[in-house]
Amino acid sequence: MIRWLRTTILHLMRTPAEPQPPDGSAGSARVFRAGRNYYRWRLALWFISNLGVVILLTVVLFALARPVRVGPPWKRYIAESFMALLVIAFLASAFFTFLQQRLNYELRWYVITDRCLRIRSGILNVHEITTTFANIQEVRLSAGPLQKVLGLADVEVHSAGGGSGKRSSDSHVARFEGVDNALEIRDFILARLRQYRDSGLGEKDHARPSGLSEGSQAAAQAVLTEARGLRAALFYLSLT
Amino acid sequence: MPGAPVPPEIAHLERPRDELLTWYFLKALATVFLFPVTMLMFYFRFHTMRYKFDEEGIHMAWGILMRHEIMLNYSRIQDIQLHSNVIERWLGLTRIEVQTAAGASDSEMTLEGLPDPEAMRDFLYSRMRGAHTATPGAANAVSEPLEAVLLEVASELRAIREILEARRA
Repeated sequence: MIRWLRTTILHLMRTPAEPQPPDGSAGSARVFRAGRNYYRWRLALWFISNLGVVILLTVVLFALARPVRVGPPWKRYIAESFMALLVIAFLASAFFTFLQQRLNYELRWYVITDRCLRIRSGILNVHEITTTFANIQEVRLSAGPLQKVLGLADVEVHSAGGGSGKRSSDSHVARFEGVDNALEIRDFILARLRQYRDSGLGEKDHARPSGLSEGSQAAAQAVLTEARGLRAALFYLSLT
Repeated sequence: MPGAPVPPEIAHLERPRDELLTWYFLKALATVFLFPVTMLMFYFRFHTMRYKFDEEGIHMAWGILMRHEIMLNYSRIQDIQLHSNVIERWLGLTRIEVQTAAGASDSEMTLEGLPDPEAMRDFLYSRMRGAHTATPGAANAVSEPLEAVLLEVASELRAIREILEARRA
């Protein structure tokens, strides 16, 4: 039943299947998933937000109940059907958002290869971000009190630019949300970053033109040979 | 691989798919009373939208009254994001948001209505800085023997000077 519901929903939503790991050296792709407790964390968020709605709903229902008691019958019908509609709408949204939490937990992929990372998340709104390690500026870890209790943390990987806008949480940031091995992921990323000592902004092409490098090395080698020869010649000259 | 030829199926891309106009229509419907105005804007946006993918970067242009043109170099791409909501996926659309390091926090360029967004993403990724070869660290490793050779040259020259000085003395 649950599985059928799941596949039906995913089909209706046209949610794409698991993301392909981006190009990298063969076998270097590593996929991280959200921690087991991330589902509980999402359920807690779901519960808190729905609790807020329940409180609001009760206030509204009580406010409506007053005119129902004193008003004429037609007013009563309208008010009562309105109340019923509100309750049904709330129950329906609570049910679907409850289902959504599970899928949101399951449909999350954090892929790291030797050159880039790719993060896919979302069911209704599918969001995927791909960035290379050469563009990464900083790595941040954050965990709220409840997340700490559940052993979860968010790892944020920032690329350059875009700081101040209201959507800044969205762009230029790859979020490893609700992972239970944040330190491992951080070290993993930092180790990869270390290969790019000059990460971030800078020259258009960081790889030095190898022709120049080889040529200058050969030239230096020639100078060295000459210097050695000169020294030897001088040495023999000084003996005589 | 900067400067490498662009695959023909991407180089020939110029116009967005027709489904994009359907999506724009739905988007304009959502503005209710402003529908005539937004639909007109979207209509012209759709019909003037042109893409060009060449060896160096992406060119995108749209608009009549307000003409917009964006040119963006592949190697300056910071990250590539794919966004799609349910309705867009029903229509087979995906937005590709290309970010550079320019100040704006929203995306610099949104490629809409492209026929194969995944292939486009892979193409853009293959042109991004850091997607290819070489860790720059490897390039630096080449230069280290050079330094060693030069140091050796210096020590040879120093020995020559010492010989000369000894001879003069």
